[in-house]
Amino acid sequence: MRDGYNFEKPLIMHVDLNSAFATIEQQSRPLLRNKPVAIINRRTEHTSIVTASYEAKSYGVKVGMKFAEAARLAPGLIAIESDPAKYRFVYQKLMAILNSYSPYVVMKSIDEGVIDFHHMSNCPNLIDIGHEIKRRLRDEIGVAMRCNVGIGPNRFLAKTAAGLHKPDGMDLIDADNLRTVYATLKLTDLTGIAGQMEKRLNAVGVFTPLEFLDTDKIALQKVVFKSITGCQWYERLRGYEVDDVVADTRTVGRQYVLENRNLTRQQTTNRLHHLCESVGSRLRFQSKAARGVYVYIRTVDHQLWHASRICQLPFYSDKTINFIAQQLFMNAPDRIMEIGIHCYELTDNDDSQMSLFCDTLAREQQLVGAVDDINKRFGDRTIHSADTLNTNEFVKQKIPFGSTKYL
Amino acid sequence: MDDELFLNERIKVVVVFGEGLNPCQPIKFRRANCREVTITEIGLRHPCLKGKRMMHIFDVTDGQADYRIEFDAERLNWTLTREADHQDA
Repeated sequence: MRDGYNFEKPLIMHVDLNSAFATIEQQSRPLLRNKPVAIINRRTEHTSIVTASYEAKSYGVKVGMKFAEAARLAPGLIAIESDPAKYRFVYQKLMAILNSYSPYVVMKSIDEGVIDFHHMSNCPNLIDIGHEIKRRLRDEIGVAMRCNVGIGPNRFLAKTAAGLHKPDGMDLIDADNLRTVYATLKLTDLTGIAGQMEKRLNAVGVFTPLEFLDTDKIALQKVVFKSITGCQWYERLRGYEVDDVVADTRTVGRQYVLENRNLTRQQTTNRLHHLCESVGSRLRFQSKAARGVYVYIRTVDHQLWHASRICQLPFYSDKTINFIAQQLFMNAPDRIMEIGIHCYELTDNDDSQMSLFCDTLAREQQLVGAVDDINKRFGDRTIHSADTLNTNEFVKQKIPFGSTKYL
Repeated sequence: MDDELFLNERIKVVVVFGEGLNPCQPIKFRRANCREVTITEIGLRHPCLKGKRMMHIFDVTDGQADYRIEFDAERLNWTLTREADHQDA
């Protein structure tokens, strides 16, 4: 039964902070320890929960739940507004700790990182390193900090191992205990298997991770996934590395749920302008230019409206992004609940191709560069459009989930 | 939900500058109303840029309430910016 498994020594370590933002708040505010805490992005009853502490989770509070609903489940639930600067600091501390063990560290998000020990000649015991990382987190950040450590022959099994015993767990999965571990899990416990994927597997008679593991490679490729993804799952489940890839940035965007559903059209366009400035800044931070702008609206009736435009020449200034976005937005419906903008068709902004209109573009480029330099030196949004003078208190910078590009 | 007070109160702070991972340790501070708060634990210290000014933000407690005090590394002054007792939650 164990044919085809990866018998290589497990050399990938996944480190994941437990309920990261809630734990960081409990670390920084000692009176919150051992109390149910929910991290929210906005101080309203209708806001959704970004992270819940383990004490809150024990009452059934889940990420994404409305605060009002969570407060009914967990009496005495304390809402804390998110503090991105603090989380960024802990992220940098965590990254420094992980980087001290190997130069091959990839931060997967603001609260988790992967260390690859494959290239080290004298590789120490990974269990010892795991214990040391836990101790250093407590010593260098604070006594309340806890993390899960997972060790495996590939990234997938290391992450799976990190999720086995929360909080503060440490587990190792290799070819010897692979089947035993899978036998204790549900399909949706596997990273990458959620509702739709589960239904797809159920449709072909796969209901458990062990059945998934025992499914033939050809069946996964031809019947279940109908693509190369099937082969990748076959390899991944057996401990072979298929996830060591860096995805290119294809879009840069931001969205905002309006603080009040009765805003005037002008107030909404001001907030859209703020988003455009934010997206422009992110675009230039990555030295990218875009050719397309996509604007979407979600109404209070949960209807989705969207429009996009693609241009011949790439652009990256806030002014151009806003100009296109506002033109698209003119046709948007009323009763808006959420607005969003994405720039797509990204190219490297290397200025190698001079345009026929280079005078105008060169002037714009210098102006944008000067504004960015001032904002970098004196703080974000020191210079911005007069349109967005009053939007700062609403459209705040929030925690960047899933990406560490802007940290 | 609103158990937190946002303040902008200049305070006087007694600090020990030592060595190790946390070389700057506030011990106690005196508020504008002359009340003295003795710090029993520093929860977290994180730096934060306000423009080009470096602020060192200390989240501390005296066992009765959590406080946030900020040290402006350019102007060398301390400000109490938050207070929360988490009692009303």
